Amino acid sequence: MLEIRDLHVKFHTREREAVAGISLTIRDGEILGLVGESGSGKTVTAMSIAGLLPRKQCRLSGEILLGGKDLLHADRSELRKIHGNEIGVVFQEPMSSMDPLMKVGLQVGETLRIHTDNSPEERKKLVLAALDDVELPDPEAIYNKYPHELSGGMQQRAMIAAAIASRPKLLLLDEPTTALDVTVQAQILELLKKLNRTHGISMMFISHNLNVVRKLCKRVAIMQRGELVETGDTEKIFTDPQHPYTQRLISAIPTRTRKEPV
Amino acid sequence: MKYAAKRILLLLITMILVSFLAFLAFEIVAGDPAQTMLGTEATPERLEAVRQELGLDRPFIVRYFSWLTGFFSGNLGVSYNYKQPVWQLIAPKVENTLWVCFISFILICIISIPLGIWSYNWTNKIWDFFRTAFNQLCMAVPPFFTGILLSWVFGIVLKFFMPGRFPDLHKDFAGALRHMFFAAVCLSIPRIAMTIRMMRSTVIGEMEKAYVRTAISRGNDRKGVLVGHVLKNSLVPVVTFLGQTMAEIIGGSIVVEQVFGIPGLGRFLVASISNRDYPVVQAIVVILAFWVVIAGTVADLVNQAIDPRLRLGGSK
Ligand SMILES: Nc1ncnc2c1ncn2[C@@H]1O[C@H](COP(=O)(O)OP(=O)(O)OP(=O)(O)O)[C@@H](O)[C@H]1O
Ligand SMILES: [Mg+2]
Repeated sequence: MLEIRDLHVKFHTREREAVAGISLTIRDGEILGLVGESGSGKTVTAMSIAGLLPRKQCRLSGEILLGGKDLLHADRSELRKIHGNEIGVVFQEPMSSMDPLMKVGLQVGETLRIHTDNSPEERKKLVLAALDDVELPDPEAIYNKYPHELSGGMQQRAMIAAAIASRPKLLLLDEPTTALDVTVQAQILELLKKLNRTHGISMMFISHNLNVVRKLCKRVAIMQRGELVETGDTEKIFTDPQHPYTQRLISAIPTRTRKEPV
Repeated sequence: MKYAAKRILLLLITMILVSFLAFLAFEIVAGDPAQTMLGTEATPERLEAVRQELGLDRPFIVRYFSWLTGFFSGNLGVSYNYKQPVWQLIAPKVENTLWVCFISFILICIISIPLGIWSYNWTNKIWDFFRTAFNQLCMAVPPFFTGILLSWVFGIVLKFFMPGRFPDLHKDFAGALRHMFFAAVCLSIPRIAMTIRMMRSTVIGEMEKAYVRTAISRGNDRKGVLVGHVLKNSLVPVVTFLGQTMAEIIGGSIVVEQVFGIPGLGRFLVASISNRDYPVVQAIVVILAFWVVIAGTVADLVNQAIDPRLRLGGSK
């Protein structure tokens, strides 16, 4: 469904390329994991897919194909039609990613307001359904709350609701659980699995934690210093890592958790 | 609504405190009003009689409260100089000054908020240069100078109003308004320049924030981001600034009213100070102080309406 061909991203202020020739596909309905240490270029890769890189500050080359369209060379107005409508993004820090002065319900309904011509009543109904979808208790109350009135986990659920409200084909999740504590993290992972199953949304799940990815993704891509070092079936990579970097990542996981996939 | 009630209670306490201090200060500075009224030649019996008549024989605190209740019921005492009720003397001046300040405040708001946002778009080098230069110029030129300039251009040459001959507000409202409009323009120019600059830098700061990226990722265009998200987030510091502006333009109005010949509070205050007309000075000082604390309160309430996080502030 999405194909990245030989993507290069270089920031003018940096010597080295942030992304140095990545080729990757995300298949229909799958959750692909993208794993790598801090600074390896995961966010930059996701932002190039989402068209959110500051174009003036970097040089891009390659192709990113979504249903035949090249996102990398699309102009602003084409990109705006894709933003939120075909690709949804969930960021790492839910608190700072939300507009602090806008009610949660309005933020969740924003993609619907922009991309559909639903009436406000229809929109509200869809928003409440989306809030329910992400298993937030009492959607009607959440609708009228401000972000600071929610806990971190609830905020991230609301961000996911906002990203899926207009049913995009692809969801990019940039370390959506890193800022959350472990139990909340597990709940969010379950939620993502459910959304993937019920709505068939394809996802790219970014994490620096290989173990988290193992719970969620059938396929994983390992990234190091802007390059992909290994791509394939998660279990296979776990049991038989080919690249020394992958081997190191796996051996960094405590053994007890390594043995029992959840 | 609880936060608003709390803020207003605080306002009332501040007003009482401020008026008390003013009353106390005049008690110390002004000395014995009976003496002032009668002069040095007065007999002790006569002085005593006047003191009783003015109620000066009562304890300080009683006199303060009767003055304070008088303030709110429009009974501010009698001017030494004009032998007329103070309120009757200053009411028309208060009215003129409030109009000038009100018009200039409206000008500041409706011009600088949209321009502040809009000027965010002027980021190329040439625009930057002209914008900054023009901005500096507007801030640097004092209102009395623009006042003289505008009186000449719009008063003497174009005859939109008669400089120095201010029509009565109640007899010729349109004429008075025209006259005051130009005074308000002079008063607002430096403040507009400052507010635009402040708004612009706030917008630039907000555009860096993560929620802007989220807004773009949902398909907002530039206008949607600026008007739909960044505007509201930029408003809090600007409203605080406008609250201070509100307090400061009443000070600035003294000069401008002088230039345009508008009989306002400022002019009257200066005259009353040199005449040692203490009841008048006291009343004006308290009105000005109330104005300042009310402006601050209004700014706070507006900010609380904008930003729900500020509503928690007081209770925690
Ligand atoms: N706007 C930018 N300007 C210059 N360099 C940037 C910019 N954004 C990212 N980089 C650089 O690109 C490289 C890759 O960064 P990226 O954010 O993609 O890493 P990451 O894998 O997401 O790391 P993390 O796990 O910390 O989020 C880093 O060296 C980073 O410093
Ligand atoms: Mg990152």
